[in-house]
Formats: sequence, C-alpha cells, structure tokens
Amino acid sequence: MSRVTFENVGKKYGKLWALREFSARFEPGETVSVIGPNGSGKTTMIKCLLGLVRSSTGTITVNGEHVGPDPEYRHHVGHMPQISRFPNELKIGQLIDLMDDIRGSNKGRSEGALVKELGVVDMMDKRLGTLSGGQRQKVSAVHAFRYSPSVLVLDEPTAGLDPLSSQIVLQAVRNIKREGCTVLITSHLMEEVEALADRVAYLQDGTLRFLLPPEDLLAVTGEKRLSKAIPAMLTTKTAAHVESL
Amino acid sequence: MWKVYKYTLIDLARNKFVLGWTLLLLAISLGLFQLEDQPVKAMLSLSQVLLALVPLVASVFTIVYLYDAMEFTELLAVQPLRRSKILGGQMAALGTALVLGALVGTGIPLMLFLPGGASLTLILACVMLTLVFVAIGSLIAIKNREKARGVGLGLVVWFLFVLVYDAVLLWVMFAFSDYPIEPWIVPLAALDPIDLGRIMVLLKVDLAAMMGYSGAVYEKFFGNVRGILVALLALGAWVALPSAFAFRAFRRKDL
Repeated sequence: MSRVTFENVGKKYGKLWALREFSARFEPGETVSVIGPNGSGKTTMIKCLLGLVRSSTGTITVNGEHVGPDPEYRHHVGHMPQISRFPNELKIGQLIDLMDDIRGSNKGRSEGALVKELGVVDMMDKRLGTLSGGQRQKVSAVHAFRYSPSVLVLDEPTAGLDPLSSQIVLQAVRNIKREGCTVLITSHLMEEVEALADRVAYLQDGTLRFLLPPEDLLAVTGEKRLSKAIPAMLTTKTAAHVESL
Repeated sequence: MWKVYKYTLIDLARNKFVLGWTLLLLAISLGLFQLEDQPVKAMLSLSQVLLALVPLVASVFTIVYLYDAMEFTELLAVQPLRRSKILGGQMAALGTALVLGALVGTGIPLMLFLPGGASLTLILACVMLTLVFVAIGSLIAIKNREKARGVGLGLVVWFLFVLVYDAVLLWVMFAFSDYPIEPWIVPLAALDPIDLGRIMVLLKVDLAAMMGYSGAVYEKFFGNVRGILVALLALGAWVALPSAFAFRAFRRKDL
C-alpha cells in the first residue's frame, strides 16, 4: 500500500484552479522533492495533504486513511513550514509541552530528535517572541521530527538556517527516511534536491508536469546536473518525451 | 480544547496589551471615584465609558490577536486536533483574559466604592459585552483574510452598535410616537447588545425616568428579575450566534 495517494486532486480558489487533476503515489521510505515556479501549486498540494485547505475535487489518503475532517491521520504526519511564528509570550519549553499534550507524548522536553543537535535544549526558557528567524526554524524542525512521523512534509526546510544546522536537518531527513518515513520536500535549492530526492515532482500552473527519479531526468535530457536538466525537461520536445514516460 | 486554552491563556497573561488594558481600566475607575463626590455619579460616568470602551477593545483586540496568531493556528491545525477545539480554546482564552482584565480593572474599584446591585449589574454587563465582542471579533477575523479589512470592519460594527443603532432607534421612536410601537421597542433594543447593557445598568440606578418614553417601556419590561433574565438571555444569544457562525466558518476555512 502506498503511504500517500493523491487521486485527481484539484483545488479551486474562486475561478482559479491552483491545482488540477493531481494524481500521484508516494511510497514508504522515499523522499520526493516538489519543485516548480512560484504559484505553481506546490503549497496548495501540500496544504491539501495537511488538511489546511479542502480539495475541490479528488481524494487524498495517508496510510489508507482519507484526509478529511477527522484529524486522526495527522498523528502520523510531521510538518515544518517555511515561515514559523509562535505565540510571542510562550517559552520554547511550553510550546513543546503543548505539542506533547496534543500528541499524547510522554517525552521529556530535552528528549527526541534534533532537540540537542540543534541546540534547542539550551533555549527552553527563551520566549518565542525573542527568537530570530533561524531559531524559530530550529524549533519548527524539532516539532516536525519529534513524533516519529510516517509522513514528513518540509517546506523549504533549510531556509534561514545556518550551514551547520542545515546539514543537521538534512541528515535527520536521511535518517528518518531510512526508518521508512515518506518525506515530501519543497525546495528551490537544487543541491538539496540532488542530495535527497528519490523522485522529483515538477508542478507548473497547478499541473504535475513530471514525477521522475533524478537519474531519469538526467538521462532524458543528457544533462549532468539537475539544475540544467529540469529547465531542459520543460522544452517542448523533451516535455512530449516525458509525458510518454 | 483545554490544552489550547491553557497555553493561549499563558500567552495572554504576559501580553502587554492585556496588562495595559487592565491598568487603564483601573486608572479610569479609581480616577472617576476620586473625582466625583457621589459614588453613584462616578459609577454612571464609568458606565458610559465602559459601555463604549469594553466592546471596542474586546472586538479589536480579538481580531488583531487572531490575525497575529494565524501561523500558530496553522501549526495547531496540522496536529491531530479538531478545528473546533482550536478555535474554542483560543476564544475561551481571549474571553477569560479580557474578562479578568475587566474584573480587576473595574470590578475591584466598583465593589470598594459602591458595593451593591448597581455595581454588580455594571460588572455583569461588562463581562457579557466582553464575551459578545470576542465572539463578533472572532467571526470577523475568520471571515476576512486581510488584517486591515478585519480591523476596519470591527470598528464599523462597534460604531454601528455604540452610536448609529441608538440614533436610528431614537429616530424611529420619535417619528412613530403617535403609533402603538411599544411592543416593538424591547425587541429592537435587544438587537443591540450595548443597548441591552446600558438598559440593565440604568434601570438598576433608577434613572429610567430620565430616558423618557423609552425608559418607561424598558422599566416595565426589564425592571424586574424576569426582565433582567431576558436581557441576559438576549446577551447570551449575542455570544452564541456569532460564535456558532465563527465555528462554522473556521471548520470550512482554507488556512
């Protein structure tokens, strides 16, 4: 059974289709990079999966459970948004306590993935309103990985992080993937895509243009780097080729 | 819901605006009681200030807080938590924080300088108006994506209730004074929660006579325990209806 399935999922905002007839299956233990230009539907697709927006058409399942009003499937989902903002006056430790309460976790504050590695353990008494953007991203990463999700959704996970912390987060992605987690990452950094992705999903104008392993992309285009192969895929000739794949 | 309530309340307890609001109420209340010779006069002046300020602050603060908490609300919404529990926790915490602010800021001075039924009624009116405008503010924040638009709409709603509706009602009563409109006045007054609060307070200090014809009508209807209960029920409906619409809108909202 696929871990995550999208069947003809579409989302309409007013008259605009932000996502249309999106169908894909994501397997356990694979990392999929979701890429595309601004406004291509990446965020909409992720928000549909997370239940933040309701799809206009189609169905989504996570571990066989339908994504709908019942929030139980989210026990298996971790999410790291691109921009994290928390209540200013809460302390980091209190936020972790709240999330543990919601998830029914008995972990201590200093336990769990990334708490020590990202230095969050030393900031437990810091007010969230005093954190820099990078520090907020670290807190967000801790929450995303903390409850051993079977589906992890990362939206530009290294944006705003220092190089060392970026490497720690990327290593954590590799580790959790080895444990069988399905990871969906949106990123504009091709190095990240090359380093992590088992498959690359390219969206444009709300439509999935291709969903292929990086090796296939390189083979089809004859390029050596993904940063060149992806634009090459979008030329008319190769696009026809891709659709036939 | 109580998990979200607890941590939102912790956040609000340290919120500078809530603390400032409490201190401002305390300063106004103590100032008026110090300035006026008679506590009843001070209480009447205070009621005029509170009946205008409490709804304004409750609705605008709720709107601004919910907009500012939008990313956090999204974080909560991707947890295994029903949306009704998220909004319920946030609204309950906002209501609790602002009600506590009003109780400390005005309740303590009122009970110190003028203990009795009139002060209790004013406190009760403030509590109910806070809850009403937290509910209205929540509905506005959920239905409108833009913060500026939401705040603007909150101000318009407040202005309508605090001034415009009253003026229209007075004009209607004046224009149709030759007709038997008495049965309509009470239901029309119930359509404005601020009016309901004002009527409850004025009747408790025996000032209905100063309100002329409408005062006589209000005195007849609200001037007993049954009337006060009806007024409270009407205010309760003013909490329940916008809350119900807010929950419905939030369940369907694309975040």
